Parts: sequence; C-alpha cells; structure tokens
Amino acid sequence: MRPFLNAVKTGFAEIKAHKMRSVLSFLAIAVGSVVFMDAFSAIFLTYERLEKQKEVSGMARLKISQNSSRSWSSPDGYVQPPSITYEDALAFRKKFPEFYMVSPSDNNWRTVLEYENRRLVASVAGVTPEWTKRDFVYTLRGRFLDWRDVEEGLRVCVLKKKAVPPPSDSATKSVRKKYDYTAGFDTLVSHQDMLGKIVKLDGITFTVIGVLEELPVSKRPITVLESMDQEKILAPVTTLVNFGIFRSHNSLDISVDTGDERNFDEALRSIENFLRVRFGDGDFFIIENQLERIRDKISSSVKASLMTISLGLLAFIAGGIGIMNVTLATVFARTREIGVRRAVGASRGDIMLQFMVEAAMLGLIGGLLGSGAGYLWGVPAKIMLGLSVNPIKPWMPLVSIFIAVLTAFLFSIYPAWVAAGLKPADALRAE
Amino acid sequence: MSVKCSGLSKVYEGGKSGWPALRGISFEIESGEFVAVTGPSGCGKSTLLNIIGLLDEPTCGTYSLNGRDVLKMPDNERSRARRDEIGFVFQSFHLLNRLSAAENVCLPMMYAGMDSAAMRERADELLRRVGLNGKQRKTPLELSGGERQRVAVARCLANSPKLILADEPTGNLDSASSREIMAILSGLNREGITVVMVTHDKELAALAGRNLRLMDGRLDP
Repeated sequence: MRPFLNAVKTGFAEIKAHKMRSVLSFLAIAVGSVVFMDAFSAIFLTYERLEKQKEVSGMARLKISQNSSRSWSSPDGYVQPPSITYEDALAFRKKFPEFYMVSPSDNNWRTVLEYENRRLVASVAGVTPEWTKRDFVYTLRGRFLDWRDVEEGLRVCVLKKKAVPPPSDSATKSVRKKYDYTAGFDTLVSHQDMLGKIVKLDGITFTVIGVLEELPVSKRPITVLESMDQEKILAPVTTLVNFGIFRSHNSLDISVDTGDERNFDEALRSIENFLRVRFGDGDFFIIENQLERIRDKISSSVKASLMTISLGLLAFIAGGIGIMNVTLATVFARTREIGVRRAVGASRGDIMLQFMVEAAMLGLIGGLLGSGAGYLWGVPAKIMLGLSVNPIKPWMPLVSIFIAVLTAFLFSIYPAWVAAGLKPADALRAE
Repeated sequence: MSVKCSGLSKVYEGGKSGWPALRGISFEIESGEFVAVTGPSGCGKSTLLNIIGLLDEPTCGTYSLNGRDVLKMPDNERSRARRDEIGFVFQSFHLLNRLSAAENVCLPMMYAGMDSAAMRERADELLRRVGLNGKQRKTPLELSGGERQRVAVARCLANSPKLILADEPTGNLDSASSREIMAILSGLNREGITVVMVTHDKELAALAGRNLRLMDGRLDP
C-alpha cells in the first residue's frame, strides 16, 4: 500500500509540475470518455427498449389471416374462400387454452362517426378483451371492453386519443398531413372528453365506455409489430359483425402469442393442422411468423449498438495512444530521475508502478472531466441542438471513468516497462 | 563491508569490437577501509565504481560483496542491496530538483517502506548532522553546491549503509566545501563505514588509507 501511496503522491507532483502535458492527456482521454458515454447511453436505451418490447409485445407471436391471393388466382373468376368467424376464433381458443393470447379482430378503415352535429371519418376495429394482452401502450380512462360486451354484442366502444407527435421537419409534416384522413377525429378526441358520450358509427348508436391515451413516443417501447391498421375506435367484434359494420364475408384475423418461444415451431404445426381440419386443405390462410421478424429486428438493433460502442472504444484507443505517447515522452524526459531512484534503491517494480499510477491518474482525471463533458453533451447540449436525448444513468459515468483509468493503465504498461528496463548507470548518464 | 573483484572487464558497445573501459582488474577492499580510486579521465574509474555499486554489470569477471556473488543476484535483490547497504555520492549530486532537501533524503527510506513520520524525523536528524539545519524545506535549486552535496551525503546515509561510494564528490565544489565534504566522509569512515572514492585530485587521494590507481582500464601497481 505504501509504495502505491508514494506513487500517487509523486504522480500528483508530476501532474502539477507539467500542466500543459497533463491538460493534453486529460483532453485525449476526456474525448474518449464523452464518445463512449454517448455510445453507452444510446446502447442502454436500445437495450432497455428491446427488453420493454419483449415484455410488451412478447416474442412467440404469429398472425393468422385470410390468403387473399386465393380469392383472385382462380382462372374461373372470383372464388369465395372460407373465412374465419367469431365462432372459429372461439373454437381455436378452446383448442389452444395454453396460448397466452388469442385475439381475433377485424377492422373497417373508413367508418363515419357522428357526434352532436359533427360527421367525421375514423377507422374502427372489432376486438375482444384479449386485445389488451399485447402491445398495450396506452393509459386507460373508463374501462375496456369485457367479455360480456363481446358475448352479448353490446353497442359500446373505446376511443383512442393520439399522443402529441414528436417534433419533425416540415417535409415529414406535410406527408403526414397528406395521408392523415382521421385528423378530424383526433382533434375531436383531444379537445373533448368523450367518456360516457353517445356516438353513432355508420348510423348505429354506441356508448363510449373508455378512452385509451397513447403514451408519448419517448415512453413507448420500440414496437416491432407496428400495426398497419391505425384503428381509432375499438368495439366488440361481435357487435360490429352483427350490425354489418364490416364488409360482408369479411374474415377475422387472429393474433396469437403462444406464450413460449421454445415450442413455437410445434405450436405453428398444431395451428396449421387445426386450420386444415376445420377449413380443408386449400392454403386458405397465411400464418405470419412474427417471431422471426422480432428476432431480426433485435439482432439489427444489437448490431447497430455494437457499431456505436466500437466508435466509443476507438475513441478510447486514440486517447490511450495519447497517454502512451505522453508517458513515453515523460520517461525520456525523466531518465536521469529514474537513474537516481534506481541508485537509491527503487526496484524495477517501483519504477513501473510509478509510471503506471501516474498514467492511471491522468486517466482518472480525464475520465472525470470527460464524464462531466459527456453529461453536458448528452443532455443540455443535445436539447439546445434539438437532438434526441438518451437517458444517462448514474452508473454510466462510473463505468466510463473506470474504462478511462483502465485504458490509461493498459497503455502505460509499455512506457513503464521501458522505464523499468533502463540500466541505472545508463540512466544516470542521461542529460 | 568487504569487496572482492577478480578479472573484471567492461566493454562498452560501439565501434567494431566495442570500447573497453576495464581490462581484467582484480582487487580486494576490506571492511572499514577508505580507498581512493585515482587515474586520468577515461581510465575507467567511474565504470569501476558503478560496478561496485551494482549500477552496472561487468562484461566478465566475478564480484563478491560481503561474500555474496552479487552478479548472480536477481535485479530486485540488487536493488535491495543498493537501498540498504550502499550509499552513493555523485559529482553532480543527482538530487531531484522538484523535491525539498528533506524529501530527497527521504527517498531511499521511502523505497524501504518506512513510515512517513519516522522518515521525516530521520531526514531532519541527518540534515542536522551534515550542517543543514533549517534548510529542510529548500529545494536543491535554492542551495549552494556545497549544500547540495551535503544533502546528497545525508541521503546516502538514510538507510545506514555499510559502504559509501563517492564519485568525484568534490569535483564541482570550491575548496572550502571540498574540505567540509571530505571531513564528513572521513568521519563516516572512522565510524566503521567502508568508503570508496573516485578522484583525480592527488591531495584528496592522500587522505584515503589506500589508493587504487587505474590506467587505461588496468590497475597500476
């Protein structure tokens, strides 16, 4: 412990005695620290969102839908393929009670909603309570549809309230505006409390029993399975079928979470079997393997993260080479001192320790400065520049400082070894 | 502390066959002797002293220090021997200018792992002994040549060595300071410490008990 403390003391004296050299070393390491911390927080954010995504979306996902190509590919003209009804969905559920989610749904992307004296266009989806089991990124006011609503086909509905969109450039804005045919609906829901109100959907009266507020983008997990149907209104699937709000002969989609990635393939085969038994051998349905998509998305996120972290590491290597250069220069500038220390009894180990401790101290101070700068860059500067801000957790600067010290330490091994290898007599002769 | 060398040669690298500084010299120094090594510049005096002080290794030959074959010792044992048994005084003092006089004296004790209070106390005592009371906090740059050499002497005494090696200790000093340093060295020798001093000053050499005269890397009988 004492040799170490002595080395620290000498290190401080050296850092103080060579201010310019020390400042340059600090900078070299600090730059690495800033980049690394930035990379770190970006990666952490991705990781966190992926974990959240797994939690919210599940992994073992698939979707069964009608194979629409079958309807048109017959040379004899349009053929009506079998469609999935609510009863089919119930039978499916009964056959696979172990699945985490079996959510039948259908939608009508253009429904006319009437409220007071307003008539607006909105998309409506028919669902069951199972809909909430996955990708539920909302806060709910009022209540959601329950099984009684579905079984009895009650005329109740839940409206979605859109979150404030993230800031975007004018081009994106205009594109968004161009295709946003439900803007009127969004305005209505965000300006009026619709809970408990009576509305008409395609002329049929419904009671609004709940409002789903979308989480702001920053708090939403990455949704891999971004829903193409931006439904605005949710109602019991049975009610919509009974009142003919869907097109006739419409087939339901069934979203499934088998609950377990491991026997996913087995589940797929059982489902294919179920469909064949119930509807016959005709390739009438498509089973979309969403697990693959989720995995691809995760691995591409991981790849992107590795890219970022490798940039951070490169920055550290650059900083480390800076420290190595400085330490090597120090060794040559202090050769006579090394000779004196060796003459009065310092061992090779003492000399190595001294230079490595000194370099580690440069790394430590550089890391501290860099973490401070990294925080300033990561939060206030990015806010001022209008860039997206990644969360900085308290342990990130600590890790960054640790790596700065480690880098400096590792890169000082060679110069320290050179210093320790000098022959005392030669070192004393140096000017 | 006895020194026994036989057939010591040292060839420095450079040129076709190197440059020989010592050409097979053999001698013995008994414990408690005061030996002056004399000879003209470039005759190998300092090389010999460096070898005796374990700062350099001979190209061939044997060297035993108090009966131990020091050339076969690993580097850290030789470092320990330098620290605990040998004290050096150099012509150009070799003090660290960033440290105070007291800190310079503490250096060998620091490597010996002494605790700092004891170190300070001993440094003060040694500086008093060489007549530098009150200058403990001065750095070498604030001291005169004679004072610097006295700091170096205090430093060489830090771990109570049994052998003091002085390489032209008065070479950079005026005559008054030279006399003072010589008086200190003679006093230490009287206390039983073996002293080996390199000098080309015949008057100083006369103060030593015995002279080893070197000429072109050989002992002049």
